[in-house]
Amino acid sequence: MSRPVRAACLLLAVAVTATGCGSSGQASSPSPVGAVPPLATSVVTADGAWAVVVMGGSAADHNNFWQIFSRPPGSNGWRLVTPPGVASNGGLVIAPAGGQSLTAGFRPSQALVITPLASTSNDGSSWSPAVLSAAIANVPDALAAAPGGSSLIALLTDGTAERSGPGANWAPLVTRRSLAASAAGTRCGLQQLTAAAISSSGVTLLAGACAHPGSAGIFARVGGTWSPAGPVPPAALARQPLTVLRLTRTASGILALLQAGTGTSASLLAAWSADSGSHWDLSAPFRLGGTQVAAASFGPGDAAAIVLSGNRGITIAGPGQQWHPLPALPSGTATLAAASGATMDALSVHGGRLTVWQTSPASSAWTQVQAIDVPIQYGSSG
Amino acid sequence: MNSGLNVDNPTVVAAFRAALLHQGLIVLVIFAMLGLAWVSVRAAQPSKSGSTAAAAAEPAGRKLLRIGFGILWLFDGILQAQPKMAIGLPSQVIQPTAAASPHWVQVVVNWAGTAWSYHPLQAAASAVWIQVGIGLWLLAAPRGAVSRLAGVASIGWGLVVWVFGEAFGGIFAPGLTWLFGAPGAVLIYAVAGVLIALPEHAWQTPQLGKQVLAGLGAFLAGMAILQAWPGRGFWQGISHGQPGTLVGMARSMARVPQPSFLHGWVSGFASFDEAHGFAVNLFAMAALGVIGAVFLTGRARLIRPALIGFFMLCAAAWVLVEDLGFLGGLGTDPNNMIPMALLAAAGYAALVRVPAAAAQTTVAAGNAGERARGLARWRELVQPAALSQRAAAASIRSVAAFGAVGVIILGAAPMAVAQASRKADPILAESLSGSAGVIDYPAAGFTLTNQYGRSVTLASLRGKVVLLTFLDEVCTTDCQFIGQEFLQAAGLLGPANASKVELVAIVLNPTYRSVADIQAFDKAEGFQGVPNWLYLTGTLPQLQHIWKEYGVIGQDLPAGAMTLHNDQAYVIDKTGNVRQEIGTDPGPATTVTKASYASLIANAARHVLSAP
Repeated sequence: MSRPVRAACLLLAVAVTATGCGSSGQASSPSPVGAVPPLATSVVTADGAWAVVVMGGSAADHNNFWQIFSRPPGSNGWRLVTPPGVASNGGLVIAPAGGQSLTAGFRPSQALVITPLASTSNDGSSWSPAVLSAAIANVPDALAAAPGGSSLIALLTDGTAERSGPGANWAPLVTRRSLAASAAGTRCGLQQLTAAAISSSGVTLLAGACAHPGSAGIFARVGGTWSPAGPVPPAALARQPLTVLRLTRTASGILALLQAGTGTSASLLAAWSADSGSHWDLSAPFRLGGTQVAAASFGPGDAAAIVLSGNRGITIAGPGQQWHPLPALPSGTATLAAASGATMDALSVHGGRLTVWQTSPASSAWTQVQAIDVPIQYGSSG
Repeated sequence: MNSGLNVDNPTVVAAFRAALLHQGLIVLVIFAMLGLAWVSVRAAQPSKSGSTAAAAAEPAGRKLLRIGFGILWLFDGILQAQPKMAIGLPSQVIQPTAAASPHWVQVVVNWAGTAWSYHPLQAAASAVWIQVGIGLWLLAAPRGAVSRLAGVASIGWGLVVWVFGEAFGGIFAPGLTWLFGAPGAVLIYAVAGVLIALPEHAWQTPQLGKQVLAGLGAFLAGMAILQAWPGRGFWQGISHGQPGTLVGMARSMARVPQPSFLHGWVSGFASFDEAHGFAVNLFAMAALGVIGAVFLTGRARLIRPALIGFFMLCAAAWVLVEDLGFLGGLGTDPNNMIPMALLAAAGYAALVRVPAAAAQTTVAAGNAGERARGLARWRELVQPAALSQRAAAASIRSVAAFGAVGVIILGAAPMAVAQASRKADPILAESLSGSAGVIDYPAAGFTLTNQYGRSVTLASLRGKVVLLTFLDEVCTTDCQFIGQEFLQAAGLLGPANASKVELVAIVLNPTYRSVADIQAFDKAEGFQGVPNWLYLTGTLPQLQHIWKEYGVIGQDLPAGAMTLHNDQAYVIDKTGNVRQEIGTDPGPATTVTKASYASLIANAARHVLSAP
């Protein structure tokens, strides 16, 4: 055999060997952003309560449908009030507007890329439809309503915040990119927007996850300018990155839930502001110890109730109060909701059944008080 | 890439069978006519072939390749005629093959898979006839330029199949091994094609045989190194409770439907390898390395026993690991072992069975003479008289070779025509919607509001063909797809028909039915600015009346469910009569089925447009 032929043969062997030893492995880098909880939530006010949970129990997302339940004022019972006309399998976000008013947004799913909205002013007995021509973000506070429902803010999947003006016309408010490039955003190292709220005085607030440790990413729009409006974390958490998990309007102001750090060292903080972010009262940090926030609920007043992974629950009554653990939550608890007196409801879901359990501060157990069978339309979305 | 339909979709399977039957009849006609013409010419002009010198025998190595690969191509062509092939090749052959390859390979392969899926009948039938044609051509043409051209055809089609059908034989994917089919069976067909296409004088010395065996030897040596490479799972029969790579392959092959004795052999080998994984891989690696090294020496005495060993190794791997390569599923060829053994045998034959010197001289001189005559000779050959004389002198094999070329053209031409069109075959949509019956009844009139807030009546659209459908603008599954199909249909109809065809949708949601809602749909789905698009809405009583008239359902369901509705379209002619009802359930709603629906809708519009 000639030399060139030998050389070619050798090259062939090497090439074949080299290509066959390829690897398709991929590297991944951890994100410093804390995990924003799923959409399950509840809001309790003096005018009643709203709860959002996902039902169906199917392994296929398109067969699990999000539902809205309402508990009218003075009632102990919940009722199904999910607005009709749109498949809710992409998720539902709610924005209470005070009184018996609420706007719900259907998150896009499957082929739907826009956001149908539905508003009620009578506790969900009837709904008025509208459409937002964009995809709303997958966070529980992606939609916020001004008191009385005169305007709405929506966080979109592309990082834009939009505001509806008169005539339900939507206009861009700010983008994550431009907010991150502002002085307030640069200080925080804004990575993503996670929540929106409108204070009782009408101040627009946006919140997000900050890359820079010790900076809480809450921004208030005052006079057309975005200013930092977040609390200063305690010194012990000053070296931790902060993510605003939830931001909501309460009867006395604004309530924010923040996660400091990630993983096993993460802590949960509640923060209250009575003046749209100028001054904050902070709770003591609650060490999550590796658990995740599965749902957060608000009200009445300044209270918050948290469902943690592993069927654990904690509550806090307001500024200056301590975190209190709840008895082990019933299996399938999707969200908590404060009930009359000092009792607490746990809404647990198994397939198409919602079971309401109740406990009181003196009790160490949960008692079933209601069950609702929801006619889930399996197979109706593909 | 794939259509998303079941591979045994009865409509497509029946259409594929019918296409093959029709084309098979054309093949018979081609051969009958050629035979008739040949007999007629011979009767009119007796052959003078007896006066030419007797042709020298074809070199044994070349003959082995030609006949062996001719049979393989024929066999592959028959495999391509499996009923599930039309829909199944992209999803069950091409896609899985490319899945582990780098992104750029998947892009290349996806392009071909999509092209196939757009025209599944033409593509599947083309593959059958092209492969049958190449097989017949190789078998029928033993010598000369016609025979060498068969080799060229084998190279061309072989490379097409290797790149697009086998994702480059998986050589860019991790886990490459000779035992599983490297470097891709059809690449070996192409290599055989190269050897068959070589000038005949290349076969007159042992050099070609040496080079073939050396190339094969180098390849096998490379495969031996790869087999020995640690961390690829070949050295372990079982590792951390999981089967090793070879055991996994054998186990998966054992699950393929097959004769029970074969299942027993493959399962038995899997169990043996599970227990003795290291020894099996050591043997495979050593065998490949030793055989490869011996092939590289070019010494016939050493190569002979190595060749026998190679045949045995190929047979063992073919049966015990590859499970014959074509059983179950949608096998398209018997995998790499048979062609590789053929290649080795041909190389050995070329090394040890050199044609006689006399024949070599004659052929060499003949070739030199042919080259010298050049263009003038070609001009002379195409003269009618010369053609007639050559036809009379042609053998029945030559006639068969020309027939085989005709079979290839029969297969390739419809696919080439289909590829030139941007329309997908409507057969996929027909298989989902059922065939539309011929109907003729007055369309129910309506007065509704369009997306610009202006009133529109059906009567105002007289003189145009109306493609009418009902869409829920906030549904999550079908309506956006139907809208996209209408939009594509508008593109297929072109600007010339924009003034003659109106695409009309009526809202099919009892709750979301405002002008703002339909404007949001138009914006999201790209309908803004489409001149002949109307999306109509009205009061709930108005809409409910029209839904009832057209037999469609629009009903809100409880508990967060999508509005219940059916998917239906109507083709209304210029006089206001419904001429076709088309079920528009988009099925899997893949790119391919949407394109197929667009073709179906555009065809329906054209048909009604051209009706008197």
